[in-house]
Amino acid sequence: MDKLQQFFLTRYLKAPKRNLLRFSFVFMTLGIVLSVGILSAALNLFEGYERSLKMVLLGSLPHITIQKTDAEYISPEELDLIVKQLAASSEIESTTPVITYSVMAVEGTKVRGASLNGYDFSGRYPFPYANYIKKGSASLHSGEIIIGKYLAKELGKKVGDTLKIVYPQLDRISALGIFPAEHNYRVAGIYNSGFYENDRSMLICTQTDAEALLNINPGFAKLELRLRPSHIDDASILAVSMQNKLGVDYSLYPWTIFSAGLLKLVMMEKWLIFIVFCFLVLISGINVISAVATIILDKKNEIAVLKTLGASSASIRKVLSYQVGLVGLIAIILGQVLGALLSIFVEHQGFYHLKGDVYFIDSLTTAILPLNQLIVFGVSATLVLACIYYPLRQIDKLQIIEILRNP
Amino acid sequence: MLCLAGYNLCKSYIDSDQSIHVLKDTSLEVQEAEMICITGQSGCGKSTLLHILGLLDKPDAGQVLIGGREIHSSMPEAPLVRNTQLGFVFQFHYLVEDLSAKENVALPMIIGGKSSAVAIKHASELLCNLGLAERLNRYPNQLSGGEQQRVSLARALINSPKIVLADEPTGNLDPEHSAEVWQMMLKLNRERGQAFVIVTHDRDSARLASKTYNLTQGKLSPIVWE
Repeated sequence: MDKLQQFFLTRYLKAPKRNLLRFSFVFMTLGIVLSVGILSAALNLFEGYERSLKMVLLGSLPHITIQKTDAEYISPEELDLIVKQLAASSEIESTTPVITYSVMAVEGTKVRGASLNGYDFSGRYPFPYANYIKKGSASLHSGEIIIGKYLAKELGKKVGDTLKIVYPQLDRISALGIFPAEHNYRVAGIYNSGFYENDRSMLICTQTDAEALLNINPGFAKLELRLRPSHIDDASILAVSMQNKLGVDYSLYPWTIFSAGLLKLVMMEKWLIFIVFCFLVLISGINVISAVATIILDKKNEIAVLKTLGASSASIRKVLSYQVGLVGLIAIILGQVLGALLSIFVEHQGFYHLKGDVYFIDSLTTAILPLNQLIVFGVSATLVLACIYYPLRQIDKLQIIEILRNP
Repeated sequence: MLCLAGYNLCKSYIDSDQSIHVLKDTSLEVQEAEMICITGQSGCGKSTLLHILGLLDKPDAGQVLIGGREIHSSMPEAPLVRNTQLGFVFQFHYLVEDLSAKENVALPMIIGGKSSAVAIKHASELLCNLGLAERLNRYPNQLSGGEQQRVSLARALINSPKIVLADEPTGNLDPEHSAEVWQMMLKLNRERGQAFVIVTHDRDSARLASKTYNLTQGKLSPIVWE
């Protein structure tokens, strides 16, 4: 940076009002602020969606599921053995056995398919979804059931109501046809994880009630492992190492098998949207080109006299680029602030909600990450600076003599 | 001692498929502390001659010598020579609107590589010497036409050039301001020995110069005043 550039840059920074607040910059600034604001808000919201989805998925689904390879139930003895074998694994936060089966929830003529999950509420094993019980009790006794929010809504159930669960026992066919097992439960709580699929189909009862309904001996369909937060992303690697410990009698399924594809898809969509919205910044760059061209036209006398006084074209180009560049960079920062405000507004507005059956979760959240803000700033600054640099090449072509003759 | 010379300078323009020869083998020598005025009709090539001598334009033929060395506008060292050895004053002041008077005057020094603090100090002193002490921090639009042109003259002088080339410096001023500027140039010439080449239509003021030439038909001819 030569002395002339330093001199002008210092002036721009010391007296921004006089040097940077110009009418020719108004539309350029507006264009950058709006386009960067939209780009930033889109990234914040998609990041928020991705994080919420991941949090909801990992909160409402087991991180690693252990089942018997032959699809038989795991007996209490086998369960104790597995728990002992995995006790040394510091990555595991909790181990919870569960009985899972597909049943039907019935209310009058309304019949809904649901997933019945029987947990041990005796206190021996932790119940990992207590946080999601938004109404009623998270501790169940025999004859009580917890029901998903949307399922409760569809069947018109609230805490204290009775719900009939029907299980079609295909191995009990009589002369009159299939004779289903059925049981009435008292709704003790409403489950709301934010993950639509679960909230639409989840039924939670005690292990003994599930055993009675399904007519099985004491045993568990699977063992749900929850990992410590720092190891959740290592679920696949941990599952392989646990598989080696437990042997071929058991099959282990990390969460990544069921949900990683969905999260990758969301991440890909996020960056696709980012790229598409980058074109908005590029379009606003047309305003930048126009502003720079106007400035060159306005200042052609000054440019000519600077050249006459011995300044090089490259130096004059940089002097002008600092002026427009500073305005551009301030506009980008303002755009990012606008983006943050927009995304916070969208998160807190109360008139639009996501459709859970389409988007898996029903709330819009935002995540303003420093890294994403750096990426937005970097990409926007590169595009804006490129748009500044392009028209500044005209300075080389300005003929001093022509300007001095026809000011 | 010879500080600027142009020998056998030729320049022509193409206008409507017609070649107009504005300079035909024109020569001019400027000695130290000399004040030369060039007069002539509009469009006769006075400004073209000044631009060629000031390394802003290239002659079709002929040579320009500054400090005894041949140089022309497209040479890489031409900007440096313009900055250090030549000063320019134009009909329009061409001051940078966003800079104060002292900052405008400091520009050539800053372009030459001096720090802005040193250049502005020097510019302030020069403006005070030229009677503009009260106008140091004024912006060009806060100055009168005469003051603008005096600031422009100070800008031309800041790097202590060998010669100042002035292209109708008072062409845009009323008689009162015009006299102010002429007086200042004469004073600088007499007291400091500053060399000037001034293109002007003002024949009365041109009389005050050490030499006056008339440019007609592309040739310079000396005017001998009665």
